Amino acid sequence: MITKSLVSSIAIACAVFGVTSSAAYAAQCSGTIRVLAQPRDGLTLLERYKDEFVKLSGGADFQIDYLNENDRRAKTKADASTIGKYNVYYIDEANVALFASSGWVAPLLDYYPKENDYSDFDPGRQKVATYDGKVWFAPLTGGGDLMVYRKDLLEAAGIHPPKTLDEYVAAVEKLNQPDKGIYGTALRGQRGSGANVWRWMPFFKGFGGNWFDGKTPAFDSDAAVKATETYLKIFKYSAPGSQTGGWDEAVGAFTSGQVAMLIESTPLVGMALDKKSSQVADKIGYLPPPTPLTGGGYGHGLAIGMKANADDAAKQCAGLFVGWATSKENEQRRLEEGQFSELNRTSVMTSPKFAELYGPDLGQALAETGKVTAVNFWQSPQWPDLGDRWGIILEELITGTRTDVQGGLDELNDFAKDLVARSQ
Amino acid sequence: MKTKHILPAVFLTPAMVILAVLALVPTVYAVVISFQDRELSRPDGQFVGLANYLSLFSDRRFINAIQVSLSWEVLTVVLTLVMAIGLGILLFECTTPKVRNLLSLLFLVPVILPRVSAAFVWKFAFHPLYGIITYPYKALTGQPLDLLSNPLTALGTVALVDVWQWGLFFSVIVLKLLETLPPQPFEAARLDHAKTWEIYAYVAIPMLKAPLISLAFVKMIESLRAFDLIYVMTRGGPGISTETLDMYAFSQGFIESGRISYASSMAVLMMVATSIAFTFIWKRARI
Repeated sequence: MITKSLVSSIAIACAVFGVTSSAAYAAQCSGTIRVLAQPRDGLTLLERYKDEFVKLSGGADFQIDYLNENDRRAKTKADASTIGKYNVYYIDEANVALFASSGWVAPLLDYYPKENDYSDFDPGRQKVATYDGKVWFAPLTGGGDLMVYRKDLLEAAGIHPPKTLDEYVAAVEKLNQPDKGIYGTALRGQRGSGANVWRWMPFFKGFGGNWFDGKTPAFDSDAAVKATETYLKIFKYSAPGSQTGGWDEAVGAFTSGQVAMLIESTPLVGMALDKKSSQVADKIGYLPPPTPLTGGGYGHGLAIGMKANADDAAKQCAGLFVGWATSKENEQRRLEEGQFSELNRTSVMTSPKFAELYGPDLGQALAETGKVTAVNFWQSPQWPDLGDRWGIILEELITGTRTDVQGGLDELNDFAKDLVARSQ
Repeated sequence: MKTKHILPAVFLTPAMVILAVLALVPTVYAVVISFQDRELSRPDGQFVGLANYLSLFSDRRFINAIQVSLSWEVLTVVLTLVMAIGLGILLFECTTPKVRNLLSLLFLVPVILPRVSAAFVWKFAFHPLYGIITYPYKALTGQPLDLLSNPLTALGTVALVDVWQWGLFFSVIVLKLLETLPPQPFEAARLDHAKTWEIYAYVAIPMLKAPLISLAFVKMIESLRAFDLIYVMTRGGPGISTETLDMYAFSQGFIESGRISYASSMAVLMMVATSIAFTFIWKRARI
């Protein structure tokens, strides 16, 4: 079947009468809005309500192609910089600067329907969606970190939930019992700015590290060495498979009951509480990350592609889709489906229904962790390049193919100097 | 007579034009941009001469990728052929025609499976906590077996999957080749009291030299395109211990840096090196 390209036009009546609302443009949308995304329950749910969007847009359909996170990043970059086949891209905090500064996506608020109220999104998520003073994507997921632990295992070992990193390391060491099939923790070892580096950064920033001192790379700092050594120390107690695994492996090990405690992105809680996918749903507790760790503030969402949407009307149609997909109505549907990690709007997360489903503790923990959530990564178009390079060196250190922490950081420092020079 | 000379050209021209468009244009384009400093986010590149090529030789990941690619080629080609010949002979010697046909059908299944699907299935089978292959080791020793995270075993483990796909398929081909051989040389060898292994080592395999060399070439070319299998199973890890040249080039071009000129210089070098190596080996093999 040949996919029809997105064809749209502005109604003459709109121009004549000066009607500029997105709804007015929407009535003129046709064809298929192509979306390149990574799998999310919230997006799958949208497919059930396709007819609603067709009606709203005046005839336009949508098609979502899914790739896992690393592949989605590679494919969106390749597509946006070359043929531009997709009208809407799923982008994230790590590459928003690259997409924005390269002109691959349009400033979102120019095309986001006002009635969908962008200001209702969680302020932290708005912050990571903003680069150079403009908003570039509408959040689909996001948040910070939580320390999630098995209450039964901690009680049996006589351990109080740790509040500091020293307590955390000691608890992980004590709880690690491989002979009983329980591992102290699960970290991410898989290469990538959004994988192992993402979990390492709270240590780096928590120990006072900075990516740059002015314009000079500062990776060979004591903070970076200490962060790496601590990360490697905790990795000794990390579940098998996590040495080259990412989020999926860490979460899978925890929800299958083989991990005592871990620090992960907030959606973990929703998954761990879901009895359909978690064997430990009744046994978990959660707190903000132990001090001095910072939480890794992140956000993923939908952005409007520049190449596939050649004219303003096409951008309006893509904006209409993004607005509908991230609307309060659709977010309430996600809440009713128990899709905790897909909730982004303040009005939904403070609703009575949310409190009824998840109880007051989770709301409290999310509020507490919000205080220590920070933007840990370097907000620059060069970040994915730098982060991924460190990801490879870190994976080498984790798996033992190299052992010199300082040497690895020095190599990254040299790479960063070259990167900065090339960008100028 | 004149028509005879024109006819081949008439038939060949459309195919050659299509080939030129599909193969030559991107190849020339890759060569041209390999002399530039283009990046995905900066398409207006400048010509930088041989700078990309010179940078490659001080890039430890490139040097490592050459070593990994060579190891991968040797490992997969040798193991595939050894498995194919061994299994082919076993099928020929020890099975009835009905069993042979049934096993041949089963041996074709792995190669029909899409490579990415096979990679995911095997990746899960090798998982240290839930994998069916690693389960017996865990049950016996109480320790998990993490083959894909160990730099010493990761490449070999992925190679096993490649050999599983292609070795079984090639064994069916070897079986069919053995069935086509005339029976007289075998009978003569048996009359001379040759042992079974001697019959195959000194009679059958030398008679199959030409098709076996062709199979080796097919596998060598196929092994160069193992990107999907390695990418799904290890992503080049642990560290860079399974990162092949094509994977590193893709990584530089699209995953990490968007340095398409640098990635193209790797692709061009790979193309030149494989063309020279294959021509040399082909000529040697024919002698």
